[in-house]
Amino acid sequence: MQILNVFLVIFLIVAAIMVERTKDLLSAVIIFTSYSLMMALLWLLLRAPDVAMTEAAIGAGITTNLFVVVISRTRRTEK
Amino acid sequence: MTIASFVAMTIFLAVLAFVCIYRAYIGPTAADRVVSINVITTKVTVLIALIAVITDQYMFIDVALIYAMMGFIATLAVSKYIEKGKLY
Repeated sequence: MQILNVFLVIFLIVAAIMVERTKDLLSAVIIFTSYSLMMALLWLLLRAPDVAMTEAAIGAGITTNLFVVVISRTRRTEK
Repeated sequence: MTIASFVAMTIFLAVLAFVCIYRAYIGPTAADRVVSINVITTKVTVLIALIAVITDQYMFIDVALIYAMMGFIATLAVSKYIEKGKLY
Protein backbone atom coordinates (compact mmCIF):
# COMPACT_ATOMS: atom_id res chain seq x y z
CA MET A 1 0.00 0.00 0.00
CA GLN A 2 2.99 2.33 0.37
CA ILE A 3 3.54 2.51 -3.38
CA LEU A 4 -0.11 3.52 -3.90
CA ASN A 5 0.50 6.59 -1.73
CA VAL A 6 3.55 7.43 -3.83
CA PHE A 7 1.56 7.19 -7.09
CA LEU A 8 -1.24 9.37 -5.71
CA VAL A 9 1.16 12.10 -4.54
CA ILE A 10 2.89 12.05 -7.95
CA PHE A 11 -0.56 12.38 -9.56
CA LEU A 12 -1.28 15.43 -7.38
CA ILE A 13 1.98 17.10 -8.38
CA VAL A 14 1.38 16.41 -12.09
CA ALA A 15 -2.19 17.72 -11.88
CA ALA A 16 -1.07 20.91 -10.12
CA ILE A 17 1.54 21.59 -12.82
CA MET A 18 -1.05 20.96 -15.56
CA VAL A 19 -3.53 23.38 -13.93
CA GLU A 20 -1.08 26.25 -14.03
CA ARG A 21 0.10 25.50 -17.56
CA THR A 22 -3.26 25.43 -19.37
CA LYS A 23 -4.57 28.61 -20.99
CA ASP A 24 -8.16 27.37 -21.36
CA LEU A 25 -9.86 28.06 -18.04
CA LEU A 26 -12.53 25.37 -18.48
CA SER A 27 -9.90 22.66 -18.85
CA ALA A 28 -8.07 24.09 -15.83
CA VAL A 29 -11.28 23.73 -13.80
CA ILE A 30 -11.73 20.13 -15.00
CA ILE A 31 -8.16 19.17 -14.11
CA PHE A 32 -8.60 20.88 -10.72
CA THR A 33 -11.65 18.68 -10.14
CA SER A 34 -9.56 15.58 -10.70
CA TYR A 35 -6.96 17.03 -8.30
CA SER A 36 -9.66 17.36 -5.67
CA LEU A 37 -10.89 13.81 -6.27
CA MET A 38 -7.43 12.35 -5.79
CA MET A 39 -6.94 14.50 -2.69
CA ALA A 40 -10.09 12.95 -1.21
CA LEU A 41 -8.75 9.48 -1.93
CA LEU A 42 -5.52 10.41 -0.18
CA TRP A 43 -7.48 11.60 2.89
CA LEU A 44 -9.19 8.22 2.87
CA LEU A 45 -5.86 6.42 2.88
CA LEU A 46 -4.78 8.56 5.84
CA ARG A 47 -7.73 7.07 7.82
CA ALA A 48 -9.81 10.26 7.83
CA PRO A 49 -13.14 9.34 6.16
CA ASP A 50 -15.01 12.41 7.44
CA VAL A 51 -12.49 14.78 5.87
CA ALA A 52 -12.72 12.72 2.68
CA MET A 53 -16.52 13.12 2.63
CA THR A 54 -16.21 16.90 3.05
CA GLU A 55 -13.54 17.12 0.39
CA ALA A 56 -15.64 15.09 -2.07
CA ALA A 57 -18.76 17.19 -1.45
CA ILE A 58 -17.17 20.64 -1.38
CA GLY A 59 -14.04 20.24 -3.47
CA ALA A 60 -15.51 18.17 -6.29
CA GLY A 61 -19.12 19.36 -6.24
CA ILE A 62 -19.51 22.93 -5.04
CA THR A 63 -16.17 24.35 -6.19
CA THR A 64 -16.53 23.01 -9.74
CA ASN A 65 -20.04 24.42 -10.08
CA LEU A 66 -18.99 27.82 -8.73
CA PHE A 67 -15.98 27.99 -11.07
CA VAL A 68 -18.12 27.06 -14.09
CA VAL A 69 -20.64 29.77 -13.16
CA VAL A 70 -17.84 32.33 -12.91
CA ILE A 71 -16.43 31.25 -16.30
CA SER A 72 -19.88 31.53 -17.91
CA ARG A 73 -20.26 35.05 -16.52
CA THR A 74 -16.77 36.19 -17.61
CA ARG A 75 -14.53 35.07 -20.49
CA ARG A 76 -13.19 31.59 -21.03
CA THR A 77 -9.58 31.97 -22.16
CA GLU A 78 -6.75 33.48 -20.25
CA LYS A 79 -5.07 36.56 -21.75
CA MET B 1 -9.18 -14.04 -3.87
CA THR B 2 -6.35 -12.85 -1.70
CA ILE B 3 -5.61 -9.34 -0.48
CA ALA B 4 -2.45 -9.12 -2.61
CA SER B 5 -4.43 -9.32 -5.84
CA PHE B 6 -6.71 -6.52 -4.62
CA VAL B 7 -3.65 -4.39 -3.87
CA ALA B 8 -2.29 -5.11 -7.35
CA MET B 9 -5.60 -4.08 -8.95
CA THR B 10 -5.65 -0.85 -6.90
CA ILE B 11 -2.14 0.12 -7.98
CA PHE B 12 -2.94 -0.71 -11.63
CA LEU B 13 -6.02 1.52 -11.59
CA ALA B 14 -4.07 4.34 -9.93
CA VAL B 15 -1.43 4.17 -12.68
CA LEU B 16 -4.13 4.27 -15.39
CA ALA B 17 -5.40 7.59 -13.99
CA PHE B 18 -2.30 9.27 -15.44
CA VAL B 19 -3.45 8.40 -18.98
CA CYS B 20 -6.84 10.00 -18.34
CA ILE B 21 -5.37 13.23 -16.99
CA TYR B 22 -3.01 13.37 -19.99
CA ARG B 23 -6.08 13.28 -22.25
CA ALA B 24 -7.68 16.01 -20.13
CA TYR B 25 -4.54 18.11 -20.60
CA ILE B 26 -4.02 17.83 -24.37
CA GLY B 27 -7.64 17.13 -25.39
CA PRO B 28 -8.49 19.29 -28.41
CA THR B 29 -12.20 19.70 -27.66
CA ALA B 30 -14.00 20.19 -24.37
CA ALA B 31 -15.92 16.93 -24.82
CA ASP B 32 -12.67 14.95 -24.45
CA ARG B 33 -12.05 16.66 -21.14
CA VAL B 34 -15.55 15.94 -19.86
CA VAL B 35 -15.27 12.25 -20.77
CA SER B 36 -11.83 12.00 -19.15
CA ILE B 37 -13.04 13.55 -15.89
CA ASN B 38 -15.99 11.16 -15.93
CA VAL B 39 -13.62 8.21 -16.34
CA ILE B 40 -11.45 9.48 -13.46
CA THR B 41 -14.53 9.80 -11.21
CA THR B 42 -15.66 6.24 -11.92
CA LYS B 43 -12.10 4.96 -11.45
CA VAL B 44 -11.74 6.64 -8.06
CA THR B 45 -15.12 5.26 -6.93
CA VAL B 46 -13.90 1.75 -7.72
CA LEU B 47 -10.61 2.55 -5.93
CA ILE B 48 -12.51 3.55 -2.77
CA ALA B 49 -14.50 0.31 -2.83
CA LEU B 50 -11.29 -1.71 -3.26
CA ILE B 51 -9.63 0.14 -0.37
CA ALA B 52 -12.70 -0.59 1.78
CA VAL B 53 -12.24 -4.29 1.05
CA ILE B 54 -8.48 -4.19 1.65
CA THR B 55 -8.52 -2.29 4.94
CA ASP B 56 -11.74 -4.03 6.11
CA GLN B 57 -13.50 -0.76 7.00
CA TYR B 58 -16.94 -0.70 5.46
CA MET B 59 -17.60 2.93 6.37
CA PHE B 60 -15.63 3.86 3.27
CA ILE B 61 -18.52 2.72 1.06
CA ASP B 62 -20.50 5.81 2.18
CA VAL B 63 -17.67 7.99 0.91
CA ALA B 64 -17.87 6.18 -2.44
CA LEU B 65 -21.59 6.95 -2.69
CA ILE B 66 -21.10 10.69 -2.04
CA TYR B 67 -18.26 10.59 -4.50
CA ALA B 68 -20.35 9.15 -7.32
CA MET B 69 -23.08 11.78 -6.75
CA MET B 70 -20.64 14.68 -6.76
CA GLY B 71 -18.84 13.47 -9.87
CA PHE B 72 -22.18 13.23 -11.66
CA ILE B 73 -23.12 16.78 -10.63
CA ALA B 74 -19.76 18.15 -11.81
CA THR B 75 -20.10 16.36 -15.16
CA LEU B 76 -23.65 17.67 -15.53
CA ALA B 77 -22.63 21.29 -14.85
CA VAL B 78 -19.74 21.25 -17.33
CA SER B 79 -21.90 19.54 -19.96
CA LYS B 80 -24.63 22.15 -19.59
CA TYR B 81 -22.07 24.92 -19.93
CA ILE B 82 -20.70 23.37 -23.13
CA GLU B 83 -24.18 22.85 -24.58
CA LYS B 84 -25.85 26.15 -23.69
CA GLY B 85 -22.83 28.44 -23.43
CA LYS B 86 -23.90 29.64 -20.01
CA LEU B 87 -24.87 28.20 -16.65
CA TYR B 88 -27.75 30.05 -14.97
